[in-house]
Amino acid sequence: MSDIITVKDLVLVYGDGTKAVDNISFNVAEGEFFGFLGPNGAGKSTTIKVLTTLLRKTSGEMTVAGYDIAKDAAAIRKIIGVQSQETTVDGDLTGRENITLQGHFHQMKTDEIKKRVNELLSLVGLEEAAEKRARNFSGGMKKRLDLATALIHKPKILFLDEPTTGLDPQSRAAIWAYLEELNKEEDITIFLTTQYLEEADKLCKRLSIIDSGKIVASGSPIELKHEIGADSIRISLEDCKKDSAKAKEIIKTMTDVTEIMDSEECLTVYAKNAGLLIADIVRALDSSDIRLASVTFSSPSLDDVFMKHTGKRIRAEELVKAPSRMFGGRR
Amino acid sequence: MTLLSDTRYIFIRYLTKLVRTPILLFFSLFQPLLFLLLFTQLLNRLSSFPGVLPNGVSYLEFAAAGILMQNAFGSALQSGNSIVADIDSGFLQKMLVTPVSRPAILLGRLSSDAFRVVIQTAIILGLAYALGAHVTTGVVGILLIFFTLAFFGLAWSGISLALGMKTRSSETVFAIGGVITFPLLFLSPALFPISFLPSWVQTVSMFNPVSYAVKASRVLMINGYDWGTILPAWGVIGLVALITMSATLYQFRKVVS
Repeated sequence: MSDIITVKDLVLVYGDGTKAVDNISFNVAEGEFFGFLGPNGAGKSTTIKVLTTLLRKTSGEMTVAGYDIAKDAAAIRKIIGVQSQETTVDGDLTGRENITLQGHFHQMKTDEIKKRVNELLSLVGLEEAAEKRARNFSGGMKKRLDLATALIHKPKILFLDEPTTGLDPQSRAAIWAYLEELNKEEDITIFLTTQYLEEADKLCKRLSIIDSGKIVASGSPIELKHEIGADSIRISLEDCKKDSAKAKEIIKTMTDVTEIMDSEECLTVYAKNAGLLIADIVRALDSSDIRLASVTFSSPSLDDVFMKHTGKRIRAEELVKAPSRMFGGRR
Repeated sequence: MTLLSDTRYIFIRYLTKLVRTPILLFFSLFQPLLFLLLFTQLLNRLSSFPGVLPNGVSYLEFAAAGILMQNAFGSALQSGNSIVADIDSGFLQKMLVTPVSRPAILLGRLSSDAFRVVIQTAIILGLAYALGAHVTTGVVGILLIFFTLAFFGLAWSGISLALGMKTRSSETVFAIGGVITFPLLFLSPALFPISFLPSWVQTVSMFNPVSYAVKASRVLMINGYDWGTILPAWGVIGLVALITMSATLYQFRKVVS
């Protein structure tokens, strides 16, 4: 796959001297789902504004779909779709009118627009609200409509600046589903910024963690978390008092286990590749007649990665828990 | 031509917004209508003093041109607010990441402003007609009045657009607009005959562009095709438009780049 976005040594200094983006370089491959994860004010929106021709770089070299941003802004605007951080639908226009107007801005033919608008309304689940004024839409509906307006001309690259900030979990999940579908089915390259760990983890095949205008780490979510080292397995037993010592003895002998600690649930095991270890633990405890209540596995979160590189935690508007998955359960 | 079709779509967008928020129309028509229906009644007896108003002209007929001007002011000042709203909401940015023609963004806005002034002027002229004020020059004269006021409205939209883009605050646009509007109206023969005004006001009014625009509409209503008044008025409006549009264009380039 070739790179559809290339950024080399981008610097952006605002008029008041603020260095919003401080010498960053990255590439995005065609068809990739790529993300920028970072706290508010890290430089995410600024980078998107430069890439979408809204802001002029201070220095650096950038291409989008092979076009030089400094020279071919007009060509780039034809093939990108952009959803900015603020939801920008016109409240006085209906859902359908909002999307149609964007089609006209892209100089599409009227017939073509009509057809595409219907497709998009159904994609984002707004067919029933299509003739209502957007002013009366809920926050989630407005975001979905905004997304649809960005897709009218079948862009090759979709830029999404915090597409789910401020949404309730249900609306967020709905947006995630559309985005994954777009990336897979329509083969759109997606560049997304987010301050939500869970969002970056779930959607992005590859991401850069950005803080204070600098990229501090890049890679797939799994690679990044692997750098942290140990995963944790939290084990609770039906009779913790009676069995914990025996369980410890058994688990201690297993390879890759770095540490076993008593914890709230009963035991917490730290290990590399803990996911692979779970089956062994369950089997070993079972054959020693130790009854398990539950086993919870959690890998290091992207927040741990952020912490490692910056010494801070990402503070999103709301706390997002580190991803955890349940295995087993009552036996 | 993308410029023309883009202008058309943006024009339609603004008109749709206007039609769907009738309260805005109501507010900008409220003041002129108040003057038309109430103020003219208060001063109706002016016509019974000899030499104040031209012979056989009622105060309503006289003041109609001034009220039309007031109306053009009012709607022109809302133009700046609309651009502030588009900047604040991010809608302007949303347009700017598309290939839409840049000049069309301004032209669409300005043409909707002009259209709106014409509609409001028609409403006021219609009411004035019902109250007994006729346009002597007939249909062509009415069209020329439309043109004069739309042209004046555009020149004035330029002020509110430039201010809006510069300050990004609707409050400022309204405050400065209000501060400018009334003195300019009162320092012109908009509502009172020039001979009626103190001599210093007469002097000031000669440098007031509003005076010329008012006189042009007034001669079309009362006297006839007095080109010696109409053409200079268009020249003055053109000059004002040149200045305000340059300011608007300058601010727009800063916003767009």
